[in-house]
Amino acid sequence: MQQKNIFLTSFLITFFLFSCSKEKKLPYLGQKTTQVHLNKIDTIYHTIPAFEFLNQDSVWISQKNLDNKIYVADFFFTSCPTICPKMKTQMIRLYERYQNNQEVALVSYTIDPEYDRPNVLKKYANRLHIQAPKWNLLTGDKKAIYTLGEKSYMVAAQEDKDEVGGFVHSGAFTLIDKKKHVRGIYDGTRPNEVDRLIEDMEILLKEK
Amino acid sequence: MKNIFYLAIFGMFGVLSCQSKEEILRQQYSIEGMNAYQTHCANCHQIDGKGLKDLYPPVIGTDLFQRVKDQQLVHLIKYGQKGEIIVNGKKYEGYMPGNNKLEALDIAEILTYLKEKNGLKTIFPLDTSRKYLSIN
Repeated sequence: MQQKNIFLTSFLITFFLFSCSKEKKLPYLGQKTTQVHLNKIDTIYHTIPAFEFLNQDSVWISQKNLDNKIYVADFFFTSCPTICPKMKTQMIRLYERYQNNQEVALVSYTIDPEYDRPNVLKKYANRLHIQAPKWNLLTGDKKAIYTLGEKSYMVAAQEDKDEVGGFVHSGAFTLIDKKKHVRGIYDGTRPNEVDRLIEDMEILLKEK
Repeated sequence: MKNIFYLAIFGMFGVLSCQSKEEILRQQYSIEGMNAYQTHCANCHQIDGKGLKDLYPPVIGTDLFQRVKDQQLVHLIKYGQKGEIIVNGKKYEGYMPGNNKLEALDIAEILTYLKEKNGLKTIFPLDTSRKYLSIN
């Protein structure tokens, strides 16, 4: 009798452990809407809309270039004296880690597009030893970039003459899945947050 | 004979305590300098001082301290740098913003820290820092 109990208990514990170690899934961030389709309710997740900007090689980059890739997006400007260097230090970690993985891309939008023309971005890219298409530095219509940042990537950015460098922005890295949904937001100035981002990227890469 | 012996002991003791007093001050400067470095410089030049690729030059493991005069170092930290600068034979462009909020003592401490990290165990005196800041 006692033996049976022990057996049952250990069975339950094993079961419990297994259920615990079930793979972690990433949330869908942003506003969801629902739609009735063939008498079924579909959930439509927040999606990054179409965009088109110039990269450091003066090539037009749109969502098409990111098809079937997961990507990490951030907002910066080349003359930023405050948090951008920290963010770029962390982004370089991702660049080096996923250099040979065709399923991963990195996208940095400038929030100072008037100064950060493609030639300025090119110099910056060269000094960081980074290349498109793995890592696109994008510039274009200022309003479009700010709207995309706030509404789509959920990153705050705005001009502020009183701020050192002239702009305020958060140091966020936004993780986007292959279907253009936002799956995570991380503090790109902190190495341990970027460790967490890398873990989540690994989960996302396995997602079907 | 005995007196001379005592004198010698006292003398040695005096020299040693003098040295260590100065060394203690240097170490204090260096520790404060490390904190200030991490707050004001490490963003770009990185915690380890090795810089970031070809964008920001190294300040540890650099030839700057052999080539650049103290006055220039003080001014570089306080007022920043425009245009190109050559570090370890490599050309860096772009600019470094000034650190207007840093006072003479902060700068002396940062330079003491950086000199130590570059193998130069000498204090960067506060007076020197003050003197150079009063010259433009």
